[in-house]
Amino acid sequence: MTPELAFEPGSSTAYHTGEWRIAKPLYRDKWPPCGQSCPASEDIQGWLALASEQQWETAWRKLTERNPFPATMGRICYHPCEQACNRGHLDSVVNIHAVERHLGDLAIANRWRHAPLDELPKRQRIAVVGAGPAGLSCAFQLVRRGYPVTVFDAQKEPGGTLRSGIPAYRLPKAVLADEIDAILALGIELQAGTRVGREISEEELRDRFDAIFLAIGTQRPRRYQGDASSHSVMSGLDFLHRLNRGERMVLPSRVAVIGGGNTAIDVARCARRLGAQVTILSPQDPPVNHLTRRGTEMPVSSQELMEAESEGVELLYRVGVRRLVRSGEHLSGIEIAHVDQVHDRHGRFNPVLFDGTEAFVPAGLAIFAIGQQVEWQGLEGLSQAPESERVWIGGDAGGSPRFAVAAVGSGYQAAMSILTALQDPAAPFAAEEKPHISFKQMHLEYYPARPRHEGRVIAQPLDGFDETVQGLAESDARQEAERCLSCGVCFQCDNCWHFCPDAAVIKKGAGYEIDYDYCKGCGICVQECPCGHIDMEKVE
Amino acid sequence: MDKRDPFRHNVLTSGHRACSGCGEAMAARMVCDLIGPDAIYINATGCLQVFTTHNQQSAWQAPWIHSVFANAAAVASGVEAALRVRGKDTPVVVQAGDGGTFDIGLQCLSGMIERGHDVLFVCYDNEAYMNTGVQRSSSTPHAVHTTTSPPGRLSQGKHHLKKDVISIVAAHYMPYAATATIAYFPDLKAKVEKAMGIKGPRFLQVLSPCPLGWAHDSALTVTVSRLAVETGLFPLIELEHGELTGVMRLAEQKPVEEYLRPQGRFRHLFGNGEGAAELRHLQALADARICRYGLLDAATEWDTQSAMQSMRHGRGGYVPVLQEEMEK
Repeated sequence: MTPELAFEPGSSTAYHTGEWRIAKPLYRDKWPPCGQSCPASEDIQGWLALASEQQWETAWRKLTERNPFPATMGRICYHPCEQACNRGHLDSVVNIHAVERHLGDLAIANRWRHAPLDELPKRQRIAVVGAGPAGLSCAFQLVRRGYPVTVFDAQKEPGGTLRSGIPAYRLPKAVLADEIDAILALGIELQAGTRVGREISEEELRDRFDAIFLAIGTQRPRRYQGDASSHSVMSGLDFLHRLNRGERMVLPSRVAVIGGGNTAIDVARCARRLGAQVTILSPQDPPVNHLTRRGTEMPVSSQELMEAESEGVELLYRVGVRRLVRSGEHLSGIEIAHVDQVHDRHGRFNPVLFDGTEAFVPAGLAIFAIGQQVEWQGLEGLSQAPESERVWIGGDAGGSPRFAVAAVGSGYQAAMSILTALQDPAAPFAAEEKPHISFKQMHLEYYPARPRHEGRVIAQPLDGFDETVQGLAESDARQEAERCLSCGVCFQCDNCWHFCPDAAVIKKGAGYEIDYDYCKGCGICVQECPCGHIDMEKVE
Repeated sequence: MDKRDPFRHNVLTSGHRACSGCGEAMAARMVCDLIGPDAIYINATGCLQVFTTHNQQSAWQAPWIHSVFANAAAVASGVEAALRVRGKDTPVVVQAGDGGTFDIGLQCLSGMIERGHDVLFVCYDNEAYMNTGVQRSSSTPHAVHTTTSPPGRLSQGKHHLKKDVISIVAAHYMPYAATATIAYFPDLKAKVEKAMGIKGPRFLQVLSPCPLGWAHDSALTVTVSRLAVETGLFPLIELEHGELTGVMRLAEQKPVEEYLRPQGRFRHLFGNGEGAAELRHLQALADARICRYGLLDAATEWDTQSAMQSMRHGRGGYVPVLQEEMEK
């Protein structure tokens, strides 16, 4: 007689060892710190991954989902993504902006065209006031979804501050023009030289359009109030506008630039190129690591500051203007003093100076780059309209931090609000909730040290406005993209698959699946995942 | 047959009864998937045999045989001779634990090598008799706590040193003998492929941590095996005809304490004077092995850092399952 068996003879797969489990591994995509910190909410890890596989055009399309200005932003953005990059804990952060610029330059060279997302034409008409980064970003998002968009701008050419405020050695005019052309080519109607309140009235705008986005920037410079005469005094904005219009100004031999922001640095470097000896009088300390401590540190990137210094710009920190020293009308210099507080007790920018610390800085011209304000003239009615009247305000005019990339992000947000308000079938666009990831969840031992590739700085005589930093060569751009750690996002390294003792990780074409019938919950896959893509969860 | 995974055969498939985080189950699946299902596997008694063939359920998806503890190499010799007579060149692979290699199976292994059988002998070395409840073997390293080498008034764990079995095997004028571990898959793969390309007896010693017997967290199996290499306590070497022909260079030598700390079997060494002396002894043993094999300065293709670096889309895998086989 054969004894009765508890199990039928056969494969062990009939026995489900998954029942032993007290904890369960889960694949879960995370938000890498780069994308999390990007004001334009680019999926930076996503396009770097495509670039590392030399899928340049797909990478460009992924990037331009959120930012249609890669060649521009790759040059001028202060790249908060790189400050957040986890690779800094290993060797040096990924040169994200250089790869972004490479993608943008490739798109221009190869004449890649943006594609519409929705071919179905929509009825509702949208007006965008201001053809700067915010306005064009908003128009780009809406026109790709089939809406007829008209962009108004007071200037003869589109670009806003990108055109009038950024010197050519940082952003060549042709690069900007090519990216704007690619955006307009989607079918945006541009009415340049049309100022709302002058060529077209607020009422007409309301009548003709279903939604209005105001992205008029900050066009009125804050002027120095301490001196009655305007002789030998200029605002940074006026200086850059005149320069960008092609005017070749003749400057006195010594110029003082007052201010601690990007405009001050741009003005100073331009004035150097015009042959002047330049001193920046900054009310703030030099930037340390983060742009978050806006109070006492200059809101500029330390790299730009270094470049300015290497070009011979002198910097004085934590000093403010006591008075302009004149002999007659002629400006002979500036009396400065040390700054106690940058902001007054109401939180307004208004440096408070220490008595007894005065010093004299000789200068024949004082350029004040101490901020700018929105010029609402002609738009008083619309500026007070609530969103229920389908008027949105964004970009610098909306009060967001004054960086071009934040304006691009603001334009995207406005476009999404407009789509929701117009009850677009694809709305609402719920933001995908993803957990964040820190470098502590990563296993950095799996990544070898690799040097960062930098764009070559071009040595040139300091009298031209040619670009100072070269782009990366294609092989360098690929290698730089390969340096991305892919924080929290699986890059199919096979570790979990190789290291599962129970053959419970199944490799699919792209990615893996856990067979919970057999997973014993040992936790090896979590421990050995380089990028922290796998989480362990308790089983009740 | 289980054909869940199109990218490997799972010669050792799921449902086996190994403990959670078993290093030996991982090592055996890697080695057997690298060799493939068209081979005859002979298993000595040990954990691997017990946990893969429980209650008449087999986890093996390839021809597999178990006889007794001592004679796996002898059985393999017979299988190989029979295949040779019948004009077949099916690979023959022996799998044994450290008990079945260092102690009980050593005589048959020596005979198999001496007679020149065309067999790959794989030893999954977990440094004690784990299957029967953690008794010391001749592979157990110095100062380890096992149930038959408990630390106490008279000793700090096992008195004796780990048997240098790779030197014994290599001393047979052995065509190929190598050590490997689970933490470095590309290295293990290169060694299995090299071994399979050589005719004659071949030997592979694969360090396979045991979360139960080594008393470490089940998630740390791979980490611990990596630290064994990085500290120099388990050198990864290749010996051909008795000569050292390859080593895994250490990118950076780690102190042995990093390897010992996560393991309960060394816990008694921490926090007392006699234990501290043994810690120094273990460090000296690691230093001596590094010196003996030149692990810090050998000119090698890769080192402990480059061998583990991860890459997008992996660094190679196994013989994939054929499409028509999947459809069958």
